[in-house]
Amino acid sequence: MPILEVKNIHKSFGGVEVLKGVGFSLERGRSLALIGSSGSGKTTLLRCLNFLEKPDAGAISVNGELLFDAADAGTHTESGVRKKRLHFGLVFQNFNLFPQYTALGNVTLARELLARDEDGFKTDKAQAIGRIRDEAEEILARVGLADKMGSYPHELSGGQQQRVAIARALALKPDILCFDEPTSALDPELSGEVLAAIRGLAERDTTMVIATHEMGFAREVSSHIIFLADGVVLEEGAPDRVLTNPQTERLRSFLGAVL
Amino acid sequence: MGESLADVTLRLLEGFGVNCVIFAVTLLCSLPLGLGVAFCSMSRFRPVRYISKTFVWIIRGTPLILQIIVIYYVGGLVFGLPPIERLDAVLIAFTINYAAYFSEIYRGGIESISKGQYEAGQVLGMTRPQIFFRVILLQVVKRIVPPMSNEIITLVKDTALARIIANKEILMVAQEYISTKVLIWPLFYSGLFFLVFCGGLTLLFGAAERRLSYFRA
Repeated sequence: MPILEVKNIHKSFGGVEVLKGVGFSLERGRSLALIGSSGSGKTTLLRCLNFLEKPDAGAISVNGELLFDAADAGTHTESGVRKKRLHFGLVFQNFNLFPQYTALGNVTLARELLARDEDGFKTDKAQAIGRIRDEAEEILARVGLADKMGSYPHELSGGQQQRVAIARALALKPDILCFDEPTSALDPELSGEVLAAIRGLAERDTTMVIATHEMGFAREVSSHIIFLADGVVLEEGAPDRVLTNPQTERLRSFLGAVL
Repeated sequence: MGESLADVTLRLLEGFGVNCVIFAVTLLCSLPLGLGVAFCSMSRFRPVRYISKTFVWIIRGTPLILQIIVIYYVGGLVFGLPPIERLDAVLIAFTINYAAYFSEIYRGGIESISKGQYEAGQVLGMTRPQIFFRVILLQVVKRIVPPMSNEIITLVKDTALARIIANKEILMVAQEYISTKVLIWPLFYSGLFFLVFCGGLTLLFGAAERRLSYFRA
């Protein structure tokens, strides 16, 4: 059974239909790359998965559990959505770190707030916080930031900030981690360290959906590529097939422009 | 010159006490009230937004002196109510007036925080209050310290307007020396009280800015 199933997502803003029936499924431990030009709907699709946008039509299931169905208002309640969001993590193009917290604070904040709702938190609070902190330190070390835990975002380079953002998302142990063009706001020399961190996650079989303009990276890290154009899946398949043997003129010209 | 420095100092201090009360009560009441008005001005519910914005327009668009006079006289002359205390009228007028100004500062601060900060909190499963209090608020505070300090320093000097309905604040006391003793220097001396008070506030706000300089927002 696929870990993630997305069916027939439609989304309009004003009168403009940005997604016109997008669907896909993803197996646990695999990565999906979303490619397509700006405005093709990649970001909107990721925002729908993370419940930052509410699709007009379509359904989203994780582990066979129906999380969202546009036709079923019972799946739209705010408190329910907050819990469902935790199945997904999202790494933004422009990081969106919390500036008043250190790298470590960014990673632990949401985890600590969630822990408050758990049973037994009050009885051994210090221990619970200690555990969260240890985990956060381990995750930061994994993305190469062991020596930057006490730094504030403005003291870090863009690449380091984005790796903190990745660690922050990982700390909540999402089933599926989404990336919205994680290197688009970075200089080329800084994107390498972010891509390396994501590659490291792929090697640990993290389930990921990655919107990216880095075709070489997409080929290397993903097991499946989806080419979005005008809000529909125009082509999809194994990375080698899609990138080396495009079937449509749209994809051919897109690849010609970005490669 | 007929009046000792000590006597004048004492009498001016007494007057300045009134200014200080107006300053403190106005701040204490209008800072929270202004936040409420700011939320109304940003409300998704249109009538609330319009009422709030009209309120701010009227209060900022008319002289504070006029508001003080209206509040002092309107109850008795229009509604036949017993007269209110002169100081109470001033406190009410100042609180309303400053709440309107503060609300716009709050609104500017809150609206200047990028949507991405809210969304980052949302995808991390945080509740709306958690996002506001744990992520947004401190960034807003940092951003509004400079405009707030400006407004609060203006408030110090505005307290002298209380004399318009015969509250014995420091300027009124100082001016009495002109008419009764033909002395001008107490007037200059009263200015020194304001200077010192505002100097202290300036230091305080500078310290607050430095205290918040450990991060950038």
